Amino acid sequence: MAEQTNITVENLSHTYMPPKGKPVLALDGITLSVKDKEFIALLGPSGCGKSTLLYLMGGFLDIQDGQIRVNETPVTEPSRDRGIVFQHFALFPWKTVIQNIRFGLDKMNLAKSERDERARYYIDLVQLHGFEDSFPSQLSGGMKQRAAIARTLAMDPAILLMDEPFGALDAQTRMFMQAELLAILEKTPKTVVFVTHDVHEAVLLADRVAVMSARPGKINEIADIELGGGPKDVKSPEFAEMVDHLWDGVRKEALAAGQGR
Amino acid sequence: MDGVGKLKAIGRRFIPFASILVFLTVWELFARAGVVIPYLLPALSTVLAHVYADIMGGDLFRQLGLTFYRAMTGFFIGAVIAIPLGIMIGRFRFFRWFFDPVISITNPVPKVAFLPIFMIWFGLGDVSKIASVILLVFYPMVIAAIGGTLSVDKQLIWSARSLGASERDLLRQIILPAALPQIITGMQIAVPLALIVSIVAEFLMGGEGIGGKLLFAQRRINSPGVFASIVEIALAGAILIKSLEYMRRRLLVWHPETKLTTA
Ligand SMILES: Nc1ncnc2c1ncn2[C@@H]1O[C@H](COP(=O)(O)OP(=O)(O)O)[C@@H](O)[C@H]1O
Ligand SMILES: [Mg+2]
Repeated sequence: MAEQTNITVENLSHTYMPPKGKPVLALDGITLSVKDKEFIALLGPSGCGKSTLLYLMGGFLDIQDGQIRVNETPVTEPSRDRGIVFQHFALFPWKTVIQNIRFGLDKMNLAKSERDERARYYIDLVQLHGFEDSFPSQLSGGMKQRAAIARTLAMDPAILLMDEPFGALDAQTRMFMQAELLAILEKTPKTVVFVTHDVHEAVLLADRVAVMSARPGKINEIADIELGGGPKDVKSPEFAEMVDHLWDGVRKEALAAGQGR
Repeated sequence: MDGVGKLKAIGRRFIPFASILVFLTVWELFARAGVVIPYLLPALSTVLAHVYADIMGGDLFRQLGLTFYRAMTGFFIGAVIAIPLGIMIGRFRFFRWFFDPVISITNPVPKVAFLPIFMIWFGLGDVSKIASVILLVFYPMVIAAIGGTLSVDKQLIWSARSLGASERDLLRQIILPAALPQIITGMQIAVPLALIVSIVAEFLMGGEGIGGKLLFAQRRINSPGVFASIVEIALAGAILIKSLEYMRRRLLVWHPETKLTTA
């Protein structure tokens, strides 16, 4: 199965029309192409339109201006080939952890034993063993986030859209989950769009990092993270240099966003 | 917890009952003091004796049963119409465009005004009474279902769609449970309303039932009988409302309002 999965974003703009108040131009002419099995990180100050871009890629919002194509097919609605992890988890509160994870699995054309096994596997992966029958309201923020990640990964989507997926985790769990994500991608390669405001995380995980401007979001720079191939060495000078370089860009934009207000 | 704390905790549990106790005591003393003639206000003890006789007589349960049967039949038919309709109105623009004006215009109309019309259309039997209940309980439930559906978190729907849910799956597996807290609130308003309308319909249309029994006592100038009927309705209503609260807790175990113990 050598399926190709690439995403093309062309001249994409998006304006929110709140029922009350002025229209908000959130994205302004975004052009970006994500190659097959590539891991791209979207980096930018809060409010610059990262989530909006991800929602548009997911097919959740109507495309007003410009185009998004997945393998040359325009995106018009959500699909299970494009899995998403929302910033605020969006777990079904009336379902237990295991029922949340089974929700999508049970709609797939799989044998029951296969579905059971997958649910089991991802519960273990995100270390929620023992919490299968807890409701989301009984879990901590980090546990909810892990449950949401498991629910999406269990679908094994070709494209993975992640909106600050490790934001609610403590530093230690975050490091563990970052390593696990890379291990999963090693085993089942996917095309990933990963939103973060953590420069270190972007450099650690991504093949390329797109730095966005303050609102209205544009793409300022796309940096190739080529640190000599192989696993990245977070202690290498190249790594630190890349983090510094991107951090400068983000800081400038964050300051600009601050002045804009 | 120390002794004083324990006493306070026990005290707190009885506060709601204390006010009832005070009210009942004042009633008894006031009636006994002879300020008003017993016809206007029979003593509580007299009324309770009457209630006791009613219970022992066995006929009370038949009368209450008739009233409850009409109230509950109307409630269930009303719910079966109002809840799916409300969800559709909340979910689909076409339904909203068509039904929203109708509901907003007719809602403020005092719906009991329709009871005489139902008497003309359907006669004085159960059909008229149940139709009256349906009309009255429809509104709080349809409005709750619309509100509940409109306020479902968009990202829950997005999640479900990206996990492969069809529109049918969305309605049954996402929107209904997400809107359930509000829908149950609508039911909690509708159930006592069903009981009230059922009784009022008996006043208007006659026939047996607890409302009919009250009316009959009133016509025979049996004021302890009237008061006894009110006490009986209050007791039956309280049991009904308590069982609704119980049902709510059972259906919404997942909801933070139900205060789960952390696993
Ligand atoms: N539903 C909405 N209505 C109006 N404005 C919105 C809405 N959602 C987001 N915005 C605005 O659009 C901008 C981009 O938001 P978002 O994509 O969430 O940014 P980010 O994820 O980068 O923090 C923000 O200024 C935000 O206030
Ligand atoms: Mg965001």
